Amino acid sequence: MSAEDFFRALYEAGCSRLRELNALDAAIGDGDHGSTLVRGLKHAVTAATGARAKAFMRASGGASGTLFGLVLHEIERHLDNGDDLATGLERACARICDLGEVGPGDKSMVDSLAPAAGALAEGKSLAEAVSAAEEGRDATREMRARCGRAQYVEGGGVGHLDPGAISLAMILETLARRPVP
Amino acid sequence: MKKLFNDPETMVDDMIDGFVSACPHVRRGIRDPRIVVRRRNRKNPDKSVTLLIGNGSGHEPIAMGFVGQGLLDANVVGDVFAAPSADLVLEGIREVNGAAGTILLISRHSGDVINGRAAAMLAEEEGIEVVPLLMYDDISAAPPERRADRRGAPGTMFIYKILGAAAEAGWPLRRLTQLGEDVRERTVTLAAAVSPGISPLTGRPMFSLPDDEIYLGMGVHGEPGVGRVRMGPVRILVEEMIQRLLDDRPIAAGGRTAVIINGMGGTTMMELLTVWAETVKALSSRRVRAIAPMVGSFVTTQETGGFSISLLEPDDVMLKLWCAPSDTPAFPRIELTEECAA
Repeated sequence: MSAEDFFRALYEAGCSRLRELNALDAAIGDGDHGSTLVRGLKHAVTAATGARAKAFMRASGGASGTLFGLVLHEIERHLDNGDDLATGLERACARICDLGEVGPGDKSMVDSLAPAAGALAEGKSLAEAVSAAEEGRDATREMRARCGRAQYVEGGGVGHLDPGAISLAMILETLARRPVP
Repeated sequence: MKKLFNDPETMVDDMIDGFVSACPHVRRGIRDPRIVVRRRNRKNPDKSVTLLIGNGSGHEPIAMGFVGQGLLDANVVGDVFAAPSADLVLEGIREVNGAAGTILLISRHSGDVINGRAAAMLAEEEGIEVVPLLMYDDISAAPPERRADRRGAPGTMFIYKILGAAAEAGWPLRRLTQLGEDVRERTVTLAAAVSPGISPLTGRPMFSLPDDEIYLGMGVHGEPGVGRVRMGPVRILVEEMIQRLLDDRPIAAGGRTAVIINGMGGTTMMELLTVWAETVKALSSRRVRAIAPMVGSFVTTQETGGFSISLLEPDDVMLKLWCAPSDTPAFPRIELTEECAA
């Protein structure tokens, strides 16, 4: 898969789930997660080779644009240059934990990303890593947010999936060409 | 509220157009029109460390007004009250970087820290030597034992100026970074807001405050601080602020401190000079000399009424650099004013 094909497929997946992502975010955040993601992806599709994740950061904006952009940056390097995906996702995960001051169990994108990066690092297949991300995503339903706007919602968002964890799983599902549910 | 803009979509770029054509010190960057760089007296970036900062707009003249000789090499301009994106800050780093290395100043606010540090990480991946230096000084944001959790406030201008002068004098990257950390450890700021500014984005006041109250410790975007106090003579307000600043970071009797009195945008020079006069008295009564003041509206939030007091207890090197000449659109000449000390 080329980086261009990946970003186009991800843009289409994001568009098809736009309402769902915004609605979930409205329950525990400011309700624009899907929109900011899709806005960034639209620019990534048409950006120059090697500059797609950066175009995403610019157009998506905010801290979330940066944190998702760091994941997309590693995937772009993997697709463009053949850089090792496991190393890249582990690096992105470490950076996100550092910059966002989050860790596993805090109800964030890290709950999908960390298990997937871990699975790849153990030599498991991309399909198995996607499954690990999906399990991590589903586990965010019972988690209480410690950061972001969700922490200020009554109950810390318990009972809702984390929109960031959903999008992160969607990114890896798209990379594995797995049909988006 | 009436505001003189064309279109929310272009207001930042319209302002930069005006700025670069009014000020011969600066021009737009080659890599991106949201980068403002030095036009005249540029450093050789292979010989001198370059300095830049990214920040949301709406706070002018900071930081584009401080681009020039003896201060910043570039400013990366974000949207109104929004940190510039990581890729844009990366372009700014590339624009100024050379073999001597670069310091990316970051005023500690969530978006600026995440995007700035991410930009530094991406730059390092490209083999660029860049040090992200976090700046924080607002004593109302966290107690002294959690200094590193404080947010950036107008006292960060001590770091801009002192590092800018030292970089111009050829200090190497490691020594400059250490100097910046040393200045940070000696700097404290406390703000007092009296009336809200109007957001250019929403056209509405950014906070509300009864006519007879002052908000002590408010951040530059209206973030919460110490709390509300009764409006009264400025003497009493300044006295309380100096007491809180010195409780946080004591200065021994017989000592001296450099001072910044910063207006938030809607407070007159007449009022700010009164604040400075009261600051001199309040410090003098504690046998601390107030020296080398910077008085004016430099870090603003539209027409917000209020001011902040920043103190830096400098060593001789810091004081010399603080008072060194610079040539930028908005940074004033700092005079020693030893005679001010009563």
